[in-house]
Amino acid sequence: MVSFLEILVYGAVQSSVYAMLAVGFSLIFGVAGVVNLAHTAFYMVGAYLIYTAFSVSGLNLILSLVISVVLTGILGLLVQHLCVRPLIRSEYSVMIITVALAMFFQEVLLSTFGPVDRNLTNFYEATYRLFGMVTIDAQRLLTLLVAIFLIICLWLFIKRTKFGRAIQAVAQDREGAVFMGINPNRVYLQVMFISACLAAIAGAFIAPTLGARPHMWEHPLVRVFICVVLGGLGSLEGTILAAIIIGYTEVIVAFMLSAYLGELVAVAIILFVLTVRPTGLMGRRAA
Amino acid sequence: MDRLHSLEESLPSSPLHWKRFRVHFAIIIFLLFIPAFVKSIYVIDLLIVCNVWAVFLSSWDLLTGYTGQISFGHSLFIGGGAYTAGFLSFYLGVPFWVTIPLGGCVAAILGFGLGMPALRLKGPYLALATFAASAVLHGLSAVFWEYSGGEDGLYGVAPLTRDYVVKYYWSVILMVLCSGFLLFLVNSQYGLILKSIREDESGAEASGINVTKYKVLTFVMSGFLAGVAGAFYGHAQMHVGTDLLSLHLSIMVVLMSVAGGMGTIVGPIVAGYLLILLNEWLRVIEVVRVLIYSFSVVLILLFIPKGIVPTIISGVEALINKMKFQSGS
Repeated sequence: MVSFLEILVYGAVQSSVYAMLAVGFSLIFGVAGVVNLAHTAFYMVGAYLIYTAFSVSGLNLILSLVISVVLTGILGLLVQHLCVRPLIRSEYSVMIITVALAMFFQEVLLSTFGPVDRNLTNFYEATYRLFGMVTIDAQRLLTLLVAIFLIICLWLFIKRTKFGRAIQAVAQDREGAVFMGINPNRVYLQVMFISACLAAIAGAFIAPTLGARPHMWEHPLVRVFICVVLGGLGSLEGTILAAIIIGYTEVIVAFMLSAYLGELVAVAIILFVLTVRPTGLMGRRAA
Repeated sequence: MDRLHSLEESLPSSPLHWKRFRVHFAIIIFLLFIPAFVKSIYVIDLLIVCNVWAVFLSSWDLLTGYTGQISFGHSLFIGGGAYTAGFLSFYLGVPFWVTIPLGGCVAAILGFGLGMPALRLKGPYLALATFAASAVLHGLSAVFWEYSGGEDGLYGVAPLTRDYVVKYYWSVILMVLCSGFLLFLVNSQYGLILKSIREDESGAEASGINVTKYKVLTFVMSGFLAGVAGAFYGHAQMHVGTDLLSLHLSIMVVLMSVAGGMGTIVGPIVAGYLLILLNEWLRVIEVVRVLIYSFSVVLILLFIPKGIVPTIISGVEALINKMKFQSGS
């Protein structure tokens, strides 16, 4: 019973991190057709920025969060405007240039901070007992709550606001959107900004738990990619569902068998899905 | 197929005409004479690494540059070949002239295994499948760490020879055989078919080309060559480690080939030499080495998307034409 509840809680935390990352990746993929392999590099940059602002410079928490998220968002804008936009017609070139950029960011951080793990203090030092049995620290709980809050906000933003409708319009029919007076390049920039900010927030909140490392972008990249394809191209609901599936699978396998097998199971799921149903769970277009 | 025959006949010279390969022969002869002038073990060792990387990169180019099947998982083949050779040599003491071809065969089987599901996939989906597939071996090596040595890998794989110069010649033979085979392949009718698949898959299919067969065959051949090179690398370094299975290696293969010039075979080979040597030269400023390197790849992609080598070649050709024109008038 205890282990079941632990799986329930820790799986939710893991899924929430994947969901935060995957939603941003899915958004820019669905809207602009950009496979941004530098997405998890934004997550890494966010983690390092909050480390610099919060732990090194000793700024207060809110200010350092804002700095980290906004600077990463601006970095996203620069990547989209300078590197992705000129190559956007070629899917492959975009993938290759974003992976080159991810390596570049990794090396910048490696040469600035060195190869050692950088540990942050938790935002709030406390542990709670949920359901009277499962102990969880405040940091993980905070990550989960922030993720749920942000995903609901993003949902409302996309479904309810004018900006969100423009994003949906470009995703559905780029030319049609142009005729309606929407500038797709501007929409791409907005989406890239949102997705980089989400990645930075995920990185900032997970950094006290996992630490900031120069290779931390490699591990979640494949998972996030898996979530997006499993969920189906451009489907927000599908992506979140897939993040929950992948997050829980990983935690269940880690609890029952071994932490190493978690990755293999996730990979097995996606290879199976790609062979059987390449459009994903809720995809709208054929692969 | 008749159309392809006529196309081939209309090419300026037959693909194996020796004049087209004058420069290649000159380079091979140059490579063969290097040990006569260079006595430093360090430099020779570096050139062995260059030769192996040239095979890694050109085998990737056959798959991605020529056939258009993007692969972010080349470490699946390299590591698969290397670990096969490593296991056979480490546990069973099998000699290298058995383990290296067997390593290639295992990688070819992996290529078949990846090529079959990859048939239905395009673009980002194919990229994900190759990413995921390369994570499988890495994951397996972590799960069976008692046998695979985990992160450290296996130390004590049998060396090829004790003599550096002989080892160098083995690596040159490997490189010349692989790149010669690839150049022959892409200059033949087969290369034309692969290019047609890259440019327009349904068009190729409509012209009666068995796209399935050629795609899977390309996966198998690319895997075989990369596996042979990986196995050779394991023996040359006397060590196989998870760096040969890592995502990092796959990404480096992609970036270096693109810098050299995708879809040219020669470009990635030259890039293998230049970038590995540049890497060593930049070791003086260790901290920013890969930083400069990855940033220049970004610039190359943005400003000379054809790659370094094709740009230089076309530049030299333009210069020669200009000189001819001036001397003629």
